[in-house]
Amino acid sequence: MATGGDITAGQAGLWETHHHHDTISTRTFGFWLYMLSDAMIFAGLFAAYVVLDHGYNAAGGPMGAALVHPGSAYAQTLAVFTSVLAYGGVMVALKRGSRGGVLAGLLVAAALGAVFLGLEVHDFIALFQAGIVPQRSGYLSAFFALVMTHGIHMAFGLIWMLTMFFQVAAQGFTDKTVYRLLNLKVFWHFQAVIWVLVFTFVYMRGVL
Amino acid sequence: MVNVQGPWSPLLGRLSLGAIPNNPIILGAFIFSAVLGVLLVGYVTYADKWGVLWREWFTTVDHKKIGVMYIVIGLVMLFRGFIDALMMRTQQMLADGPHSPGFLGAAHGYLVPYHFDQIYSAHGTIMILFAATPILVGLMNVIVPIQIGARDMAFPYLNAVGLWLTAVGAALIMISLFLGDFSHAGWVGLTPLTELAYSPGVGTDYWMWAIQISSVGTTLGAANLIATIVKMRAPGMTWSKLPIFTWTALSTNIIALTSFPVLAVALGLLGVDRYFGTHFFTAGLGGNLMLYSDLFWIWGHPEVYFVILPAFGMMSEIIPTFAEKALFGYVTMVAASFAIAGVSWSVWLHHFFTMGAGPRVNTFFSIATMVVGIPTGVKVFNWAFTIFRGRSRFETPMMWAIGALFMLLLGGLTGMMLAMPPINYSVHNSVFVVAHFHTMLMVVVYGIMGAVSYWFPKVFGFKLNERLGKRFFWYFTAGTIMVFIPMYTSGFMGMTRRLDYLANPALMPFEVAEEVGIGLYLISIVYFVLQLYVSIRDRVANRVGADAWGTGRTLEWLTPSPVPFYNFALTPRVHARDELVWRREQGLEGAALPGYEDILLPRNTPVPLLIGALALALGFGLVWRIWWLTDVSLLAIVLTVIARSFVQDTDMVVKASEVEKIEQRLRARGAGAASAEGGRGVEILRPSASRP
Amino acid sequence: MIANRMGRLVRYIGSLPLLLLTGCSAHGLSRQFLLFRPDGPLAGTDLRFTELDVAVMMAIILPTAAITAFFLMRYRKTSSTAAYAPHWSHSNLIELIVWAIPLLTVGLLGYYSYRGSYDVNPYDPGLLKTKGLPAAGRGHVLNVDVVTTDWQWLFIYPAQHIALANALVIPKGRTVDFHMTSATVVNDFFIPNLAGMIDIMPGMRTKQELVADKIGTYKGYSANFSGGGFSWMGFATKVVPAAQFKAWVRSAQSAPRHLDYAEFNTFARPTKNVNGKTYVFSHVSAGLFDQVIKGVLQGRVYTTPLPPAGAA
Ligand code: HEA
Ligand code: HEA
Ligand code: CUA
Ligand SMILES: [Cu+2]
Repeated sequence: MATGGDITAGQAGLWETHHHHDTISTRTFGFWLYMLSDAMIFAGLFAAYVVLDHGYNAAGGPMGAALVHPGSAYAQTLAVFTSVLAYGGVMVALKRGSRGGVLAGLLVAAALGAVFLGLEVHDFIALFQAGIVPQRSGYLSAFFALVMTHGIHMAFGLIWMLTMFFQVAAQGFTDKTVYRLLNLKVFWHFQAVIWVLVFTFVYMRGVL
Repeated sequence: MVNVQGPWSPLLGRLSLGAIPNNPIILGAFIFSAVLGVLLVGYVTYADKWGVLWREWFTTVDHKKIGVMYIVIGLVMLFRGFIDALMMRTQQMLADGPHSPGFLGAAHGYLVPYHFDQIYSAHGTIMILFAATPILVGLMNVIVPIQIGARDMAFPYLNAVGLWLTAVGAALIMISLFLGDFSHAGWVGLTPLTELAYSPGVGTDYWMWAIQISSVGTTLGAANLIATIVKMRAPGMTWSKLPIFTWTALSTNIIALTSFPVLAVALGLLGVDRYFGTHFFTAGLGGNLMLYSDLFWIWGHPEVYFVILPAFGMMSEIIPTFAEKALFGYVTMVAASFAIAGVSWSVWLHHFFTMGAGPRVNTFFSIATMVVGIPTGVKVFNWAFTIFRGRSRFETPMMWAIGALFMLLLGGLTGMMLAMPPINYSVHNSVFVVAHFHTMLMVVVYGIMGAVSYWFPKVFGFKLNERLGKRFFWYFTAGTIMVFIPMYTSGFMGMTRRLDYLANPALMPFEVAEEVGIGLYLISIVYFVLQLYVSIRDRVANRVGADAWGTGRTLEWLTPSPVPFYNFALTPRVHARDELVWRREQGLEGAALPGYEDILLPRNTPVPLLIGALALALGFGLVWRIWWLTDVSLLAIVLTVIARSFVQDTDMVVKASEVEKIEQRLRARGAGAASAEGGRGVEILRPSASRP
Repeated sequence: MIANRMGRLVRYIGSLPLLLLTGCSAHGLSRQFLLFRPDGPLAGTDLRFTELDVAVMMAIILPTAAITAFFLMRYRKTSSTAAYAPHWSHSNLIELIVWAIPLLTVGLLGYYSYRGSYDVNPYDPGLLKTKGLPAAGRGHVLNVDVVTTDWQWLFIYPAQHIALANALVIPKGRTVDFHMTSATVVNDFFIPNLAGMIDIMPGMRTKQELVADKIGTYKGYSANFSGGGFSWMGFATKVVPAAQFKAWVRSAQSAPRHLDYAEFNTFARPTKNVNGKTYVFSHVSAGLFDQVIKGVLQGRVYTTPLPPAGAA
């Protein structure tokens, strides 16, 4: 590639040729940074929830046990974790270089994610019908904001998975598709962690 | 969706003809902007520059050009912020005492309260988020990659997205001037004043979405700069050799990355209150308005250190260059930057000591606040010892740096006063606070002005005029003294802030002095514009070589000025903290390159601009509650991002032979070597892009 | 109309030199620095800590500024005699000193801050407990309930069943306890000569406690921006001898206007008090203050009307 051919790497040690940066590692590092900022969003929402999680913030409206369905939340938890497991399958297939494995894994993970969202929407509709809406009190505002923000992240993850399905199907494993698959793994695991926090801080604490 | 006061239609939302203000001042501003816009468009068309603008600027992913555009946006907004300041100062001078005259429908002065309130809210928002922040982000964008010997940022495409989102925020604020109104509740958006019940218009929504959209850009930019610094350094540049400005860029972007999301939460929750009728920050039905103060200042305080740390970095680059001596205490300087960044997280409550949180809490935050003075003091002392046994030259950048240093002492003194609750109780929310933070923000402005004059020749290849630059400096400094020293004294007279009418006529002498200061500022701007004009006119004579000041110390001065689009033809290997000094002392400074190689770079793309345009439509739709517009633009953004992710061919290769040609041309026209080629100094070279 | 206005302007400008004169006569101007003229222990403490802090900080800032200026002069490029050590950039001793000095100072100031925070703590001012209060002082507290609206002040004297809007009357030398809340947005209670600022928040109660040492009239302000009428939210604070206070209370108790919650809700409609109007109310219903808080907590708002179309 170099012209002149006279570049010796050590010439006075002043210049470097063919200096390359590892794209995939830069991309994944950048995505970790993005996840850090996303974590701060959830930190802010959790802080808001903790501040507004008092009797007087309910303004006479329902709290805790009245809006939590432990059974459904438990099913949601199962859906999230099996979805993460399926995504683990995507990673294994990626390592083996199996395009079919990756595609299948993505579909399963996305389907389980959709189950999670379906359950959540179902619960919300039930709550709304019972008059338990975010506008009712400060406490309910915080409750819905936290859970819905997580839900929106999950929906975003689903869109991403479907995008990756078509991208990998069309383009195979390029630098770009590979780092995106790796980043999606981080993202999807992160949502599972957040769900665990929501489950313990909102649902479990609400029931106990 | 909640019901709003006033009419609403599905097609136009709250927008109607009545939204156009019928105020002569706004009309004047509109005519001024319109004339300027027509002139600009006319000139570009006349000079046939649309193609160049599109190819070289609007679609660029080059970090230097993106940085320059950030700075231009920031300077224009700085000017707008100054006009706001001028209007506020004039109002306060005119509206002093019960017998003061009134014009244009105002009982006192020439601005009705609601208009005045929008002006200071716009001023504060603009100055901090759309002037200081973009200029600093721009400077970091331009300089950091060159300083660490990188050819680009880690994420060039994302970088362009960040720029256009910032531009959208600024555009929304400018639109609010002519369509609807702006928030009247201060740059901090005090709750519950910003709730729908007490701010029923679209002003608060403009404020909210302008900040929200642009801070997405700032957050992305922060991740980008951090990744760049961590991953893209030239070989040999270990952490202990990282230039000090890059260190401050790193610390400051860690602040941004972690604090802007908190602002997003604060504004987001306020948004759902306003749009869906929830009760986060309402006084009733279980809301907690103090939660907003907490969230806002958990971002807001780190934000002021976000703006000051890069300024510290600039001072730490400028002072050694012009003192011709190594920076004193490099390690402690770095430690101090991170100490400031770290402690900045635990002081936010000092903005509302007067809420009466109890003496124990107040004492904790008071002491935490004062602790920031320790690393800051260390910085000041280290600069002094850098000057000690140096050989200081007082060129314009150095003047700004020294000015900043003295401002920092005054601002620090008054900050330390505010940090003590018993003092704070008597001056909180007074113009004493206003004077404190302007003194501090002047450190930022001085740092910026110093940095612009310092790095200008690097980016454009010629120096700014020294004589006019000094005039600009002195008039600006005189203005600063005349405006803000009297403001400190008015604070002791019990003058509170955000007043459109002053009940106490005894303030008059100070108001007049401050108006004189505004006059001095006005003169300084004339000199600034003149300086730009004269310097561009004489650009051939003002040309510089790679090391514009002759005593540069870090990598950016190694590559030619103006910096070619690929930054370095070959990646430099780093041997010392002050690499250029090392090379100079080894006699290697001008050593010819051993050869050239093909360079892989990202190709221009209009997608970021498209995303920006859609975000503008989204923001506008949200402000006016035009739901079809918000839905369409949001969907379009998502689809654009997905579609773009399918594009594989995003890079280009610059052939070694072409690099060689560019390098030889640039090196041939170093300082004094003005060639017959003439007149092309402003251009940053761009190749005929070839496909890989 | 225009001529009239211009006349006002001309007269106004004509009076400016006069203002400067009165302003500059040493006595007149210094009296305007309200924060330097405390007439009560709280404001006095605020000032004392200001002096302390400035003294301590000046002891560092001034030498630092002087040394920096000296270095700049001494080690300028054009000075041929000064030493030049381009590589000298580290000294353990200096580094130790530059960290130690601010550290120790912050330690000292931190201690003062701790003391001061307790001294002026509005819920239990250490100061009023310990320092030179008249023996009768604490036992004999006057309670005043403060309610802010958009954009007026209401001072309720619950024990006396009277209320005073947009002005405050208190007896000299007696501890006054203020319980404060807002019907709308956040305000801030501030009488520069007597006491520093404490926020007033809707749905919440805050407290301030002060003693006025001298008879006189003092300026009071809201210090936290609250909307269009904010600049006119001043209230004169009259400090009167105990006997005169009693007489004033008695006269107020026969004021024709009464005040209950319904009447309050009328009073609380957005009003810019441009002309500094004051009102006296008698027969103030008991528990009005709590009723206001309760109303706010239940979601009552006093909505600001949309500004006229096109107003900017
Ligand atoms: C970085 C931040 C910043 C900066 C630089 C400034 C700069 C100035 N500010 Fe501002 N100000 C704030 C941030 C800032 N301010 C904030 C946050 C508030 C609080 C708002 C609130 O209450 O909510 C505030 C409020 C505020 C007030 C309101 C006080 C009150 O509440 O009563 C006033 C009144 O005088 C004021 C004055 C000024 C003046 C005279 C300047 C001058 O220093 C301006 C000097 C600038 C120039 C002279 C411009 C130079 C321009 C160029 C060189 C570019 C030229 C470019 C082109 C021609 C394209 N400011
Ligand atoms: C760039 C911006 C910037 C910076 C750097 C600072 C720096 C500091 N600020 Fe300031 N501040 C603002 C911008 C800034 N501030 C703004 C915008 C507001 C108001 C916003 C609003 O309400 O609208 C504000 C408000 C504000 C308040 C709240 C006031 C109120 O509303 O009641 C307080 C209170 O503690 C405070 C304190 C401090 C302190 C202690 C520092 C310290 O960091 C200063 C440290 C520096 C020194 C101390 C000088 C150098 C040191 C030495 C020479 C060594 C000797 C020192 C010691 C012994 C300590 N600031
Ligand atoms: Cu109520 Cu702070
Ligand atoms: Cu702060």
